[in-house]
Amino acid sequence: MIWVIISVAADLLFWFWVGPHVPPGTMTSTAKSNQFDFTFLVLMALPVMIGVWVYLGYAIVTWSAKREGVPEPVGGPEARGNRKAQVAWITITSVVVLFLAGFGTVAVINDHGSGGGEGPNPIWNPAGASKAEAAALTSSSSWSPNSNQVLPVQVIAQQWKFTYRYPTFGGFESSELILPAGTTIAFNVTSLDVIHSFWAYQISVKADANPQQNNVAYTDTKGTGNFTVRCSELCGLWHGAMYNYGKVVSQSAFVNWAQTTESANAANTANLPPFAWTYVPDANGAAGGYYIDGNVTPYSPSEIYGAKQPAS
Amino acid sequence: MTISAERPTDVTAAAMVPPTSKVVLPWTQRPGWMSQHLGTAVVLAVLGYALGHWFGNAISSNYAYIANSGQNSIADALGLAVGVLGWLVGIGALNYPLAKIVGKEARHESTVEGWSKYFRYSLDHKVVGLQYVVGVLLFLFTGGLLAMAIRTELLNPTTHVFSPDTYIKIVSEHGTIMMMMATSIIVGPLGNYLVPLMIGARRMAFPRIEAFSFWIFVAGYGVIFSALPYGGFPTGWTGYAPLQTQAGPGMVSYLLGFAVIGMGMMAAGFNIAVTIINCRAPGMTWSRVPIFVWSILATAALLTLATPVLFAGGLFGLLDKTAQTAFYVTEHGGSSYLWQNLFWFFGHPEVYIMALPGFGIVGELLPVFTRKPLFAYKVAAAGMIGVALLSFFVWQHHLFQSGINPDMRPLFMLTTELISIPTGFIFLVGMGTLYKAKIRFEVPMLFCMAVFFNFLIGGVTGVFLSDVPVNVTVHGGFFVLSHFHYTIMGGLLFAFMAGLYYWLPKMTGKMMNRKIGMIHFWTMFVFFNLTFFPMFIIGLLGQPRRVFTYAKNLQGLNDFSSIAAFCLGISFLIFFANLMWSMFISPEKAPPNPWESLGLEWQTASPIPSYNFERIPVILTDPYHYSEVGAPALADFGAGGDDSRAVTTGSDSAQ
Amino acid sequence: MTDMQDKKPFSETPEEREFELRAQIGSTWTGGRLFIGMYTFLLASLAFSYFYLRSANNGLLWRPKNITAPTSFGWAIYSLVVLIAFLAWFGQGRLRKGAVTDWQVAGWVGVFLGLVALFLQIWQLTALPFYPGSSGYASTFIGWVCINIGTLLFGTYWLETTLARSHRMRIEVAGTDPELTAIPAARLFRANVASMTYFWGFIALSSTLFLLMFYVL
Repeated sequence: MIWVIISVAADLLFWFWVGPHVPPGTMTSTAKSNQFDFTFLVLMALPVMIGVWVYLGYAIVTWSAKREGVPEPVGGPEARGNRKAQVAWITITSVVVLFLAGFGTVAVINDHGSGGGEGPNPIWNPAGASKAEAAALTSSSSWSPNSNQVLPVQVIAQQWKFTYRYPTFGGFESSELILPAGTTIAFNVTSLDVIHSFWAYQISVKADANPQQNNVAYTDTKGTGNFTVRCSELCGLWHGAMYNYGKVVSQSAFVNWAQTTESANAANTANLPPFAWTYVPDANGAAGGYYIDGNVTPYSPSEIYGAKQPAS
Repeated sequence: MTISAERPTDVTAAAMVPPTSKVVLPWTQRPGWMSQHLGTAVVLAVLGYALGHWFGNAISSNYAYIANSGQNSIADALGLAVGVLGWLVGIGALNYPLAKIVGKEARHESTVEGWSKYFRYSLDHKVVGLQYVVGVLLFLFTGGLLAMAIRTELLNPTTHVFSPDTYIKIVSEHGTIMMMMATSIIVGPLGNYLVPLMIGARRMAFPRIEAFSFWIFVAGYGVIFSALPYGGFPTGWTGYAPLQTQAGPGMVSYLLGFAVIGMGMMAAGFNIAVTIINCRAPGMTWSRVPIFVWSILATAALLTLATPVLFAGGLFGLLDKTAQTAFYVTEHGGSSYLWQNLFWFFGHPEVYIMALPGFGIVGELLPVFTRKPLFAYKVAAAGMIGVALLSFFVWQHHLFQSGINPDMRPLFMLTTELISIPTGFIFLVGMGTLYKAKIRFEVPMLFCMAVFFNFLIGGVTGVFLSDVPVNVTVHGGFFVLSHFHYTIMGGLLFAFMAGLYYWLPKMTGKMMNRKIGMIHFWTMFVFFNLTFFPMFIIGLLGQPRRVFTYAKNLQGLNDFSSIAAFCLGISFLIFFANLMWSMFISPEKAPPNPWESLGLEWQTASPIPSYNFERIPVILTDPYHYSEVGAPALADFGAGGDDSRAVTTGSDSAQ
Repeated sequence: MTDMQDKKPFSETPEEREFELRAQIGSTWTGGRLFIGMYTFLLASLAFSYFYLRSANNGLLWRPKNITAPTSFGWAIYSLVVLIAFLAWFGQGRLRKGAVTDWQVAGWVGVFLGLVALFLQIWQLTALPFYPGSSGYASTFIGWVCINIGTLLFGTYWLETTLARSHRMRIEVAGTDPELTAIPAARLFRANVASMTYFWGFIALSSTLFLLMFYVL
């Protein structure tokens, strides 16, 4: 009985008092959904934990050898097992756990991956995402406000900073992440050297940045606000210092900023490598890898060291 | 009733190998300095290191990339490897393998008497168990000091005690040393000591493999510790490529360290698994096996089958660093995901290697202190086997955000959620055993209750992490860090303490001081929770792992955690003081069975003779018949049986 | 239980000795099978790496120009391995029928061939037409060679120690063909030979798979 009361009280307390403040917040659809998921899990976990704690507390107090009047325990077959209790436990835990697994699956599908990186070939895409992504590689892709278009943004991680590239605005690079409100964003995360992880906290997006790989994550921004971006995969000495800040602004403000920056940076952008999903060169590129001499290692001693390899 | 084995008809006295008439003194057991012992091991290890390093330089310094960089991973790797080989030669681990080449068979080895046997290659599993206690504590205190350093750095986000280089070295070393220790912390000391006693055997199946597992465990400490003078490694204990490829010479210590410790883990698991399967006393059917032994069997299954994957992963990494292969180098045809998959395929069974023995200890101790039989014994055993089996199918939950194929995610979410079902059985068993019991709150029991408390939090937060959407928020931050500290430290380490307080009286004949033990328990429990519970919140508020700076508004929580951590460190000093006090300074003699346990290991003489049991017992029932009227005796120890046909061999060691 | 004043010397009844002997024989059997299980996981890691890197084909550098390690070496080593496994199996059959010398001859030939295979495997490393890091295939191949060197070394060692044991038993124990008797040492010996033969069968089987992967596919 105590258990029921405490559980319900704790659940209600959590839902109303802590709930709205549960990270990561409500700035985007993924954030809202993840906040809800977390809250839901807490609501399910609290009765379980409180149940066990209340029982343990009761056991410690009531059945202690030091307490007077505690009857001697009874051994024998009844104490060794209770079919009803065992079956009930196994059934209830299985049902709860399977329900949670199903709940999580539904959540991740409905929310286009819940802000997690889906790799280069995402399967939970919002509408229009694949078109926008394909278009990003052409130099004529564009995005305009109020058009329900997906905005692709590339996140380039390196030791030890994040750079953001906007293919729909000529592919300029920026070190601050500005995003329009009320838009579906497709983050394409990649790395130039080691594994990093792009974690935009209040936006609730987390995607590992791997060299020579594109990692796509989606979110729908809602209102405006500031957010923090941190690297959440150990990437060397200055991993702790690898963070910056971003903003979600109104759509018109965003277009303003993007177009201004695009023209201001035009000279720089011309010198950048052409927009691509990954930038680490392979056998057909220039110097790469970690070998000191900087040359691509040939695969036969008879080849000239550093010669370019054929495509296949 | 003596053993009812059919009398072998084909044994004739003439054909039996005559027992050696004089006492055989192998090199490892000669008294005094002129023998093989820790001292020779250290000397030969150093010489081996020098030789290997010199050789490595000799064969490779003409390569341009080595000459230009001034670092020679080949020399480092060879130096460490030959050093480990020298260590093994010095302690006498290779004596028998070399003797086998000329056909010699394992034989009687009398044990040197006195304290020096603890510094030698001992074939007595009880000696190995006590050696492991010291070895494990060595790892624990080193890792603990490093943890104190980490918390010192995290006191202030802007004032830095260490440079980023030193800090990342400390973080990586702390994690790696603790993980290496934690794999063997219960299987090593308690598993090795107790399993033969609990199954009624006189010895392990492969005593030399067991001794090898201990000595190579210590060698592994040396190898991983050597990372520090080599400049450390920057990858954390998870060693992700390509940072691994980029790293300096300290990375070799990490990779080789895992390979070396891996060999010890495989050896220990192999020996224990075979022993449990084959060397049980007559009458000990599977339903009479103590629950601790079940947990060790499940753990041994994981140790033997999962560790080869780590060994392979480490080998490939070493090849990348020395032979310049490209296993983990994406640009050259390899893949950084390969390391992640190999590592975590091992890594997840690894954490169950850590959790299961803790469950075993709790399951073993609860009946003693509640005076009731273990509730749902079969469910407990089945749960442990289930966890061991399922643990091979969940590893990709460490990789949810890494960009791997997303359609695997619901599958791994499902398997991870499923594994929480058998993991939860320990709570069913615990709660059922506590029902209408009469609980004696001795120090070991308190630690068991703490295991329940801590593991509940740890386990439930694991369910949070297994949920892919929530994982987006909590992966890579302090939330997951707190989760695994709750399960590994809160579960395993507390269970280890319970086991130590409980079994040390049997192992050493001395009781651990109860008063100091109580102080130790309460300080450890309270400060453990005060240290790690805020970390859940810190993680939820956005602080990633392994960072030396964080948002200013989190400083209060970090400071709270750090100060509690320092107090937790003090509680470990209290433990150490208790150990010294109770074992050396002011020992209190322990009665043969201070906890009034029905376990088979407690029915031995005190101190336990090296051959464990005077007569091999015939087991009649399981050891959980507490408070049962008319319960059958545990076993027939054969006293008053047919001793007349017993043959006394001259030595006092078992065959 | 009362305190033991002096340590009672160890003693055992014949039933206990027999019981422990059976436990030891069982341990040899279980240990041999478990070791094969462990080795399977080790080799599976290598096979996993091979297929994973093959399907990823990062940088189109899985196997440029369909490069292959020297097949003559590969087939030679493989043939030797299969031959040794066959000799072990055949020898054990002869041993069971009572022809110990047949087993010993087969065994020593096997040891010699094992050393030859080991030598060839090490030699192959110096004759590779590619650099170790030049492709995924090259890397996994080097990994395979390292593991195989260990396997051949250990397998040959195990074979040799059984043979050495057999010879030493002839010195230590009176009578003809002590390997065939029922003394404890002989029973352990036969269990050991059985496990070793099984292991060589496993080596032959797994080598077939890796031969296909590296030289045929």
